[in-house]
Amino acid sequence: MATEHTAPMQPPRTETGWIGWARFNLFGSVPSTIVTVVSAPLALWACWAGLSWVFTTADWTLVTSRPQQYVIGIYPTEHAWRPLVGWLMVSVLFGLAAGMWKGAALRIAIGYGAIALVVGLLPYGALHEGVNMPLDIRLLVLGNLPVLAVAYWLGTTEAVGRPRWLIVGGLVTYVLFLSLLVGLPGVTAVLPGVTAMEPVSPRVWGGLMLNLILSVSGIVLSFPIGVALALGRRSNLPVVKLMCVVFIEVFRGVPLITLLFVSQVLVPLALPENFPVNSVTRAAIVITLFSAAYMAENIRGGLQGLPPGQAEAARALGLPGWRVTVWILLPQAVRNVIPAIVGQFIGLFKDTSLVYIIGMLDILEIGRAVVQGNVEFADNGRELYLFVAVIFWLITYTMSYASRSLERHLGVGQR
Amino acid sequence: MTSLTYQGIPVWRHARILGWTAQIVSAIIVIAAVAFFIYNLASAVEERDIPRGWSFLSREYSTPISESLLPYEESDTFAYAFLVAATNTLTLSLVGVAFATVLGIVIGSAQLAGNWILSRAAKVYVEFFRNVPLIVQLFFWYIVLLGLPQVREGYVWFDAIYMNNSGLSLPWLKAQDTVLAWGIYAAVAVAAALAVQQVAIRRELRTGRPSYPLVWASVTAVLIGAVAWVSLGAPLVIDLPRPVGRFGHLQGGIGLSIELAALLVGLIIYTSAFIAEIVRAGLQSVSRGQGEASRSLGLNAMETLRYVTFPQALRVIIPPLISQYLNLTKNSSLAIAIGYADLTSVAKTMTQTAPAISIFLIIMAIYLLFSLGYSLIGNLYNRHIQFRGG
Amino acid sequence: MENQSSDATATDGGQSNGAEDIIICRDVHKWFGSFHALRGVTTSVARGEVVVVIGPSGSGKSTFIRTINRLEKHQRGDIIVDGFEMTDDIRNIDAIRREVGMVFQQFNLFPHLSVMRNITLAPTKVRRLPMSEAEDIAMELLERVGIPEQANKYPGELSGGQQQRVAIARALAMQPKIMLFDEPTSALDPEMIKEVLEVMQELAASQMTIVAVTHELGFAREVADRIVMFDEGSIVEDQPPHDFFNNPRHERVRRFLSQILRH
Repeated sequence: MATEHTAPMQPPRTETGWIGWARFNLFGSVPSTIVTVVSAPLALWACWAGLSWVFTTADWTLVTSRPQQYVIGIYPTEHAWRPLVGWLMVSVLFGLAAGMWKGAALRIAIGYGAIALVVGLLPYGALHEGVNMPLDIRLLVLGNLPVLAVAYWLGTTEAVGRPRWLIVGGLVTYVLFLSLLVGLPGVTAVLPGVTAMEPVSPRVWGGLMLNLILSVSGIVLSFPIGVALALGRRSNLPVVKLMCVVFIEVFRGVPLITLLFVSQVLVPLALPENFPVNSVTRAAIVITLFSAAYMAENIRGGLQGLPPGQAEAARALGLPGWRVTVWILLPQAVRNVIPAIVGQFIGLFKDTSLVYIIGMLDILEIGRAVVQGNVEFADNGRELYLFVAVIFWLITYTMSYASRSLERHLGVGQR
Repeated sequence: MTSLTYQGIPVWRHARILGWTAQIVSAIIVIAAVAFFIYNLASAVEERDIPRGWSFLSREYSTPISESLLPYEESDTFAYAFLVAATNTLTLSLVGVAFATVLGIVIGSAQLAGNWILSRAAKVYVEFFRNVPLIVQLFFWYIVLLGLPQVREGYVWFDAIYMNNSGLSLPWLKAQDTVLAWGIYAAVAVAAALAVQQVAIRRELRTGRPSYPLVWASVTAVLIGAVAWVSLGAPLVIDLPRPVGRFGHLQGGIGLSIELAALLVGLIIYTSAFIAEIVRAGLQSVSRGQGEASRSLGLNAMETLRYVTFPQALRVIIPPLISQYLNLTKNSSLAIAIGYADLTSVAKTMTQTAPAISIFLIIMAIYLLFSLGYSLIGNLYNRHIQFRGG
Repeated sequence: MENQSSDATATDGGQSNGAEDIIICRDVHKWFGSFHALRGVTTSVARGEVVVVIGPSGSGKSTFIRTINRLEKHQRGDIIVDGFEMTDDIRNIDAIRREVGMVFQQFNLFPHLSVMRNITLAPTKVRRLPMSEAEDIAMELLERVGIPEQANKYPGELSGGQQQRVAIARALAMQPKIMLFDEPTSALDPEMIKEVLEVMQELAASQMTIVAVTHELGFAREVADRIVMFDEGSIVEDQPPHDFFNNPRHERVRRFLSQILRH
């Protein structure tokens, strides 16, 4: 009997390379072959038709002639530097995250930088007469790139590249960004002639900036509220439990649009007279609470999925009740339902486009205002909706991409 | 040091006293907050003389509703207008749910197909339509449909389906006078078929020989149906839409306005993308070993899917599917954006002539009723699978 | 609740070897709804004693040891642990939980924390030890249970036997006076049972008070000072191993032994 081992041989040509791939994926069986024969020409035709429409038939003037409006809405032009400085601060966060985690965070930051580059370099003037981006604005936009690079470098350092600094930076950015947008009331009274920071009403916030502000506020606030509701619903205090159940079920059972109407009509009545809350804040609150109700159910699902032994082991170690929840149960529950939570964040971001109901000009509505207000764009609705759809898609896709990579990252060491 | 004690234990260390205190304090806080809002609301209503009450329900609504399934006239009451609008929403959601489910199952299965083009196309469909706000999609479909040719130059297929910029007209079934008698026949047929099936099953169990219970049951039902047809004639006739008059307006069949068509297309496509993901995840959740075990028992691919994979996947699919149905129902409130008269949009119009507080309470109650209905179905299903040791 | 006895050293129940009793149970009753799970259990455990609890499933043996650190609340009778009476006084409950370590059948390690963090969590948060000190203790304990090299892994990366040894180290990190084991080897593969039993044996030799629910009769025979058998919520037998195996007083014990020895 031969004792030598059989040397490994190359697989047949038909099993590897593109031939093998096609054999397996396109002509694997008779039905598959039929599908390929029918669908391949169809798919090619659809791609060709789509691309030729995008590049020849479609008229993108309504997008390229108004870059500022899609980004910051009708925020006064002389104050446009304020949101742009805010944008620079956001770039710091992206850079830090990229330096700290590399991988998916780095790829997201590169895409983010590429968008800043395109927005800052597009030759608007050459495309449309009378439309141009002032040099200072361009510089502010392009400034995101060096900021991103420096923050990336900082993120790779031991001292700065820690999640806790990212969280602190995020909160600081959030507060500063909003203060920049709101302005300093009374500054002109104290310092006559200084108009740089005079207040700007939230009514004129708009464009993609508005969608992002609403969704970031919603995400930041709906998570803790959702956690509180989930814990309340599981608590053994009957009154708390009942209120949480009623709150969650009402907010989940009624359309967001209806709630937005209620927020404009009923909420002002339910608050004391002269309570300082404007319609934008009210909308943000309603969107946040709506999202929090769903968040609560997601987190409750995560908590229910945990084996009871986890809480018992923690109690047996002598941890007091609330610490068992905060240190042992919540981290696991949240990690187990990350896809659902990010899905909820994506839903919240998409829902911000509903603020048109209360007359806010978000990226969708400002585009519609352009189409309806200008005869020359009356037939360009398709281009507008496609453009808005792609913007939304890019952001939501990035979110789910980040979520998948986070899940993989946390999956390490999981049982 | 003197201290308050209960059962010899200082009260601030007594587990049960602490529990009660937490209950009472939380109850007071919650009740105080609710009372605060209600008090504000009540005093605002009082002071600013805001319209309130429920008497408007029996008043004439006197406002047109553009499109409705139930017959509606402007002289009808507010209460009836609510019913009309709620019926619109319910019909819209049921039709949407039916089509979105079918489309979602097809696309979800296609995502797992062996054919690369098919699975890629399904994936692109899901990733795109799921991640773009529904409202953007609705506006898009609305202007696409508005771009259709006018009535006389519109598309016509088989002289039965008309599509143009005033809507879509489809053949529909029209009930004849004999429809009641047919109902009786149908009841008899079902009862007879069930009886025959039972007899056949018993016989099969007794003799051990196949007795084809389903076949015999069907034959019974068809026979009774044939008798009915001969004696009564057809219960329903197909009613084709046809152009009339100088402008070629369409009469007969069933007509959908452009708004309704755009809303349905948008809702169905958007929801089907979510359902496709649910179906894909459900099918993938059934472990490979189940399929292998089934194949090794000699079941073929189709039988494996029918008896092993799909029933197990269904347990994972149904609960999120029902919450998608609920989402579709709620999303139908976006009808207001393109001007279809659904519940929210009618209610919004009503607030101009009637107390807003009452109206919002009513529509929130109606939506909660819908959601309760869907949850009920979900719970029934859950209990059903639990009985079988789910 | 009645029975407000503060006489923590009373030893009127159960058998003991004469030393000071660290756990005293007098007429303990527990109901789950209408199911009477513990029906007047009276026993005591002396300091440094090793008591093995056996019995058929549903006999109340797990419920019994879970009442000792209040994972289950008993409804009647007295439980006194190291002088602390188990009442509704949260100070006593906290004190008892600090004195009593517990190891579970399903390990119940915290999967989102590293092995090191699993062990240091309670000492740093409950006993308020500084992190460096807690980590030193944790390393010592990991060496004691024989897996110091696993300190920075996550529970999911360990075998069942290693996880259970981490769980023992985690309980020991609180420097308990009593260790409770609730079927610690039942979820383990045969080759891993030995490594866990060895750790328990070493623990018993170090004068730790141990109450263990287990089906490992070999362990019981070698290590236990007493074997207690539960049936239908009551103690039916309570003897040193030799007498327990050789001349049990109850027919029920003989039947039970023959059942679990048969396989």
